[in-house]
Amino acid sequence: MKALGALTRAVKNVSRRKIRTFLVIIALSFSIAIMVSIPAGVIANQKATQGISEDYNKIISDIQKEINKTATLIEIRASSGRPSAVPSGAPPSGFGQRGEAFINETVVDEIRSIEGVKDVVPFLEVSSEETTNETVNTPRGSFTISRPLYTIIGVPLNSSLIDSYAILPTNITAGRNLYEGDSGVLLVSSNLSDYLGVGVGDKVEVYGECFSVVGIYEPAGQAATEVRTVYMNVYTAQRRTVYMNISDLQRITGNVGNTSRLDVYAADASYVDGIAEVIKTAYPELYVTTYKDRLQNLERTQEMYQTTLENAESTLSQMQTVAFQEIVIVIVATSLIVLFTMLYTVRERTKEIGILKAIGFSNWNVMSQFMLEGILISLMAGVVGIAMGIVGAPLLSSLLLPSVNPFPTQQQGFPGQTVNFGTALSQSVTAVPDLQTILLVFGVAVALGAVGSLYPAWRAARTSPMEALRYE
Amino acid sequence: MSDLILETEKLGKVYKLGGRQIRALSDVNLKVEKGEFVSIMGPSGSGKTTLLNILGCLDRPTYGKVILDGIDVTKVSERELYKIRRHKVGFIFQNFNLLPYLSAIENVELPMEGTGKSKEEKRKRARELLKLVGLSEREKHRPLRLSSGEQQRVAIARALANNPAIVLADEPTGNLDSKTGYEIVRLLGKLNIDQGTTIIMVTHDSHKAAHAGRMLFLSDGKLLAKEKQGKHLLKKELICPHCGREIQPDDTFCPRCGKKL
Repeated sequence: MKALGALTRAVKNVSRRKIRTFLVIIALSFSIAIMVSIPAGVIANQKATQGISEDYNKIISDIQKEINKTATLIEIRASSGRPSAVPSGAPPSGFGQRGEAFINETVVDEIRSIEGVKDVVPFLEVSSEETTNETVNTPRGSFTISRPLYTIIGVPLNSSLIDSYAILPTNITAGRNLYEGDSGVLLVSSNLSDYLGVGVGDKVEVYGECFSVVGIYEPAGQAATEVRTVYMNVYTAQRRTVYMNISDLQRITGNVGNTSRLDVYAADASYVDGIAEVIKTAYPELYVTTYKDRLQNLERTQEMYQTTLENAESTLSQMQTVAFQEIVIVIVATSLIVLFTMLYTVRERTKEIGILKAIGFSNWNVMSQFMLEGILISLMAGVVGIAMGIVGAPLLSSLLLPSVNPFPTQQQGFPGQTVNFGTALSQSVTAVPDLQTILLVFGVAVALGAVGSLYPAWRAARTSPMEALRYE
Repeated sequence: MSDLILETEKLGKVYKLGGRQIRALSDVNLKVEKGEFVSIMGPSGSGKTTLLNILGCLDRPTYGKVILDGIDVTKVSERELYKIRRHKVGFIFQNFNLLPYLSAIENVELPMEGTGKSKEEKRKRARELLKLVGLSEREKHRPLRLSSGEQQRVAIARALANNPAIVLADEPTGNLDSKTGYEIVRLLGKLNIDQGTTIIMVTHDSHKAAHAGRMLFLSDGKLLAKEKQGKHLLKKELICPHCGREIQPDDTFCPRCGKKL
């Protein structure tokens, strides 16, 4: 009953000075909103970094597995095989304009005759005529990349090769795969099928000629598509791809007798180095990669990931330090706001303190009365501040914490390509305060209300009733 | 058998002001019996309020004893004094000292806080007291919406809340016009007669002091030996000071002789 009476008076006192209470609550609410937002921002970044780290590790491990499967594979390319995306502003590149080099099919027979070579699988890989502009948003602004709409891979439809090596996709979701002897037909990746809105049985015009879609496949994971890429890249949008008979592709693109890639399979892994050496000597213009090269590339990629992650961790640690300092400042500010407000209130109500003591209020009664008012104000500010924090956490945390993007804007070694490592991270970072943080901050707010009003309340309690009654 | 409710022995208060010693009270010996209505008169600066503050445990004497309802309050620690103030003393101030943000009834309930009474009990007691001071209709009003006289009535009701051993009134009519002042003094007289409330009233107005049963005089901090008996409360009823006939507490003029009360 006593507490109820004190609470009623506290509510009346707080509510009778509406403008002051409103201003104090607004000031405190900002502090509390910051208290909610900063940990939310840090936690979101921690999670994002952790997520990226897990993704990277998975990619590395997948690539490792893929590389292990290809111990006997020697990959020969006519060009460096760099992705063909170009930054905005550059004219869209079309087929043949990039000066793509080819390997003549006569080379296939010559390589096949090298000792230890079991099979040679020629591929012709060209970009579609159509290009597409894609916008990528990053914390440092958005930019547009222009790239071919899809890639066409011409494969030799020879059943012995198809059966022995993974030259065609396996995950067919509609229709069928390509068979030996197929001509004038396409196997389309599901993302391209979705993009173009075509299904099995539909016709698609490629380089001016009509082809029938006989099957749709689901592209394999990122690692599998990347394993053959000399310059591995973490962030590549999944390529849209079309498979067709190599002869068809050679014909429609005017590349009869040309291939762009050869997969050379050694009879045994022990032959690989010897074969690679012979090819390199005989064809110095070609790019030859073996299991070892791929492993080296993987190591380079790993190092790059490692640096990126270290950057991320260092930024995170910097962020945590700043967050800690800001939280301390905010806590001190909150306490001071309560302290000065309550000191002013106590001074203003000195006479009331005298009256209360004269009619029999104990020191504790008086002290608890003022502490209750301080706590009540911080309680209200807590509710408002947490609501503000929940709504404004993304904005507040981005304003108050160091730059969220811990990754370099551009990775070196990718001329003409701006793939932002931070993109994936920044897109996944949204500071949303969790329940634990909210409850903790609410508790802290109430505690700060109590702490901030402790001294003023103690002073009020210690006031001599006689002197307080004389106060005007 | 002695029925003393308040007794002081050689009570003295000395203030230090800028190196000077000011003797506010010296050797005050006062005895008040239960049910008495005592007025203490004296000019400004005679030590009336100092004496009342000491009697009401708001201040400590420099020397001497104050025995209130059998307790030597000078020996009670500062921390425990609030209990004496709460249970033994009821204060009435010159400027009412009501809490402006509480209604009349809430102001009356205030001293009952912490006494263990339930909310209903407190409300019932506060209603009774407001009825006693004639303010039943005004219980929900805040002080600012009450006249000065009504505010002082609320303050009187508040002083009686815990049924104190003694009510101390410090110039209770000082901020009131003459008519209202008399009403308040007569209300105190009525409470003294009807409820047996022991009252000590400090005033410098001899007419109002004369409504008490006993008038004491304070001068330069000393209680003078001369003591007067009030005219009208001898018969334990309200009597016109001019004609000696019975009057009612709310009367402004004597219904018999027609003179202003």
